[in-house]
Amino acid sequence: MAAFGLLGNNVILLVSLASMLQCVSADGKTLVLLDNLNIRDTHSIFFRSLADRGFDLTFKTADDPSLSLIKYGQFLYDHLIIFSPSVEDFGGNINVETITSFIDGGGNVLVAASSDIGDPLRELGSECGIEFDEEKTAVIDHHNYDVSDPGEHTLIVADPENLLKAPTIVGKPTNKPILFKGVGMVADPDNPLVLDILTGSSTSYSFFPDRPISQYPHAVGKNTLLIAGLQARNNARVVFSGSLHFFSDAFFNSAVQKATPGSQRHEQTGNMELAEALSRWVFKEAGVLRVGAVTHHPVGETTPPAAYTVTDLVEYSIVIEMLSEGRWVPFDGDDIQLEFVRIDPFVRTYLKKNGGKYSVKFKLPDVYGVFQFKVDYNRLGYTHLYSSTQVSVRPLQHTQYERFIPSAYPYYASVFSMMAGLFVFSVVFLHMKEKEKSD
Amino acid sequence: TFVHVLHKFYVVNALNLALVGAQALTPSHHLSLSDVARLHSFLSQSFTDLESAYYSIVGLTKLGANVADQRLHLCHIITSQLDPTSVDSLFFAAEASKALSGCEIPVSNETRDILLAAVSEDSTVAQIHRAVGALSSLGLPLASQEVVAALTARINKEDNVMAITLALHTAARLSAQADFVGILEEIEDLTARLDDLGGVYLQFEEGLEATALFVTAAYALSDHVDMEPPLKEDQVIQLVNSIFSKKSWDSLAEAFSVASAAAAFSSNRFHVPVIVSAQGPATVSHSQPTLQLLVTDVLSQPLASASVLVESAYAVASKSVILSQAPFTLNDGVFELNFMSSQPASGYYQFTVAVTGDSRLIANHVELKVKVSTEVAITNMDLSVVDKDQSIGTKTTRVDYPSKAKSSFTADSHQNFAMSFQLVDVNTGVELTPHQTFVRLHNQKTGQEVVFVAEPDSKNLYKFELDTAERKSEFDSISGTYSLYLIVGDATLENPILWNVADVVLKFLDEEAPATVQPKTLYVPKPEIQHLFRKPEKKPPTVVSNTFTALVLSPFLLLLILWFKLGANISNFSFSPSSILFHIGHAAMLGLMYVYWTHLNMFQTLKYLAIIGSLTFLAGNRMLAQKAVKRYAS
Repeated sequence: MAAFGLLGNNVILLVSLASMLQCVSADGKTLVLLDNLNIRDTHSIFFRSLADRGFDLTFKTADDPSLSLIKYGQFLYDHLIIFSPSVEDFGGNINVETITSFIDGGGNVLVAASSDIGDPLRELGSECGIEFDEEKTAVIDHHNYDVSDPGEHTLIVADPENLLKAPTIVGKPTNKPILFKGVGMVADPDNPLVLDILTGSSTSYSFFPDRPISQYPHAVGKNTLLIAGLQARNNARVVFSGSLHFFSDAFFNSAVQKATPGSQRHEQTGNMELAEALSRWVFKEAGVLRVGAVTHHPVGETTPPAAYTVTDLVEYSIVIEMLSEGRWVPFDGDDIQLEFVRIDPFVRTYLKKNGGKYSVKFKLPDVYGVFQFKVDYNRLGYTHLYSSTQVSVRPLQHTQYERFIPSAYPYYASVFSMMAGLFVFSVVFLHMKEKEKSD
Repeated sequence: TFVHVLHKFYVVNALNLALVGAQALTPSHHLSLSDVARLHSFLSQSFTDLESAYYSIVGLTKLGANVADQRLHLCHIITSQLDPTSVDSLFFAAEASKALSGCEIPVSNETRDILLAAVSEDSTVAQIHRAVGALSSLGLPLASQEVVAALTARINKEDNVMAITLALHTAARLSAQADFVGILEEIEDLTARLDDLGGVYLQFEEGLEATALFVTAAYALSDHVDMEPPLKEDQVIQLVNSIFSKKSWDSLAEAFSVASAAAAFSSNRFHVPVIVSAQGPATVSHSQPTLQLLVTDVLSQPLASASVLVESAYAVASKSVILSQAPFTLNDGVFELNFMSSQPASGYYQFTVAVTGDSRLIANHVELKVKVSTEVAITNMDLSVVDKDQSIGTKTTRVDYPSKAKSSFTADSHQNFAMSFQLVDVNTGVELTPHQTFVRLHNQKTGQEVVFVAEPDSKNLYKFELDTAERKSEFDSISGTYSLYLIVGDATLENPILWNVADVVLKFLDEEAPATVQPKTLYVPKPEIQHLFRKPEKKPPTVVSNTFTALVLSPFLLLLILWFKLGANISNFSFSPSSILFHIGHAAMLGLMYVYWTHLNMFQTLKYLAIIGSLTFLAGNRMLAQKAVKRYAS
């Protein structure tokens, strides 16, 4: 039974390893849906950076009747870029449901919207916990607009302080402001997985620029999301940008300066760096972790026993690797925790980096049952890392208890005196020579 | 299906018409001065081979750049790399040297023969194009009619966009007397092959380079034969959009084609698209009363000969016409109009601007949205805390912008916090209702912000009341000091206002604990857990157990003492092996019991017991038998 279980574990490990290898060596087939093919030219820097990093880009207009994401139950692409804000109906057999099932199947999606947002993208946003504002609305900020704003204060300068503090997602911190022009979003408060990657400032809001404010705006202040992300429970990643211009060559190369007098002029926007970091994250080039070898054994031994005994001193170690430039390198983290779980965790302790692996020594609890060594590492910007190894912990064998308890000395003494008495009595009884009765 | 297609075609056409009717198409992309500078530096990158030299030198010339200062150096590269037997090499060298002017390329009779031989029906269009280009640039004679015949024959075989475009380029190099009718028709055929993308862009699916080269060729040939190319005004604008929308070029050839197309659009005899843009933002105000327009070609070079006229201007909000038939004055390359002299109210104005002065101008009727901006001032800012039961007798505090109220205001659940103010135009004194009039309450401790919209009443007096009891859910019922900000902003306001008016202490009656599930805690380490081991039970004092141990052992001692007194003996013991073995076995069995207690388990014990037990049994049996014999014997 144990051997069978081990075999089963190995098979599962092999299968998961194989799927991981496939994920790494996949050629990054990416479908790019555009409003019109001219976007390929106006956003050429972004697409070139993707192509240079080895992505195999297929450009299609969003209403192309030959579009297809799934064929014979297989996904034709690993990633999907939707740069077609105004699409009212996708062509071919793509619709919001197929895109949702693409995400459910582990596909990564990058969506850019604009003020001309059509219904399918709004629906897709709702599926992912992101509510887009209505068509024709725009994010407006009268205090933080660019000097080159054409008149409606919708060309917004977003401060890098409003970026999510997660370098795996947004790249290294810079002081370059970000240019944004597009539609606003708010996050569904009930969806804890939505990440506020870039928010508006306190003075921003989202409304129709050409209509007086007659109702409470959809998004106000810091609740206004300019760029939002999502890492689903299956590690599929989705990024929504309210602005398609955000990725354009024009915004990449533009200078930026707030219109308020005395603000600093930056020769280049931070858009290019942010867009590249976002694309690295969303297409799983950054922040991807995997579990390598997991070992556990009693301290002083090298192999795990069939079952541990309560209060054993145990050493557990795990290898965690991160994908970097297409290769797996040891991951460097100082907050990885190990849990020893039987329904509820009995022990939760930090793992220490020890050479190429993380390890910890601890004493098993004095409770027996079927336990799991569990590493459940879920951090902002990283894929969800999960490893569980099942072991059984049994109570002390009867020989392992304390033999001579001081309080029980009368019992031992009575037994041993009984035994000694029996021996002596048997000798005396068998070999006694009675005195002559005649005396 | 034909009917269906036809129907679709009509629908598309009708849509296009509707679009055109709604707003005349104007170029949305051109090469701004910074784009031209980037294109210039892209073309100026250093090169080693002749093809790059051609793209770079000719491309720069098209942009009007001066390459003369490097002439000797460039000329040396060209002549040293020249392969006089290759048509391609001759073409690149000849074109580049012609652009450099004053860089002679040696021509032998063999060279000429190679070039002339390439002009035949057996060569590809590309070869014919390069041979003809080289011949004409080198100033060698060629028979135009033969070239036309060869081209016509080749076009029928190579029916693709690039080949036909090159044929057009070639034809433009021939003598104007040749019979071009067949080739001229190709312009129209190619135009029909252009893809219309959303009514804004027009391009070949072969890419930007093909589109740009086609434009260059079409205008070169049209200029050459002095016949207007069969391109409609909208098509020209769509071509401009699609060629100049790409601001980052992949290759020298692509950059060269864009530069060539830009040159063609800015200096041909038929169509010159006009780019009308405001100098800076299209905004006028009391401090900046003139509207300044730049009227340029696609290369952002000013069209000095043009004259600019406002055909009409109306307010977007009221649709009332404010200006008509007003000319702009040219001042140092910038067209200016003092719009504030018409005393417009703040807001947006739709201008229809006509650019005239040259019959070639295209897209010369432009719709412009001009903004009249002003400055706002906040007056009569009154703050008060009102009891809900008795709304009279409250004390109001007046605060002046930009200072902050000296004392903070406290409102509990039986009170309303109230605020009223007016927004007026600094320049005219008129009351304003800007787009954004928000009241922001910011809790400095938790960072939470709550924003309300302040709305004006019929007299444009803004009133804002905060009902503490009613609004508690928006504050998550967290009492504390909130900074009150007033945010005023509008696209037509030059001075957006963010004013920290006062501090407000809000007290909520039933303070609830803040929401327990903080979504972001998903990504932080969980608290450590140390297992709490069960404590060993407290043991009774050993004195008791030791006393009882002694008591328990006493009977055994008593036995020994009594036996001793009674005179117990073992004189009958015989040292026979069986009796020794029996007693040893007996002792060993008792000893095994002890070992069982300390070390062994049941199965091991039974095993040993079986061995020792059977030996002891046999020995005991024998011993008893001997004893019985002895007793009967005595």
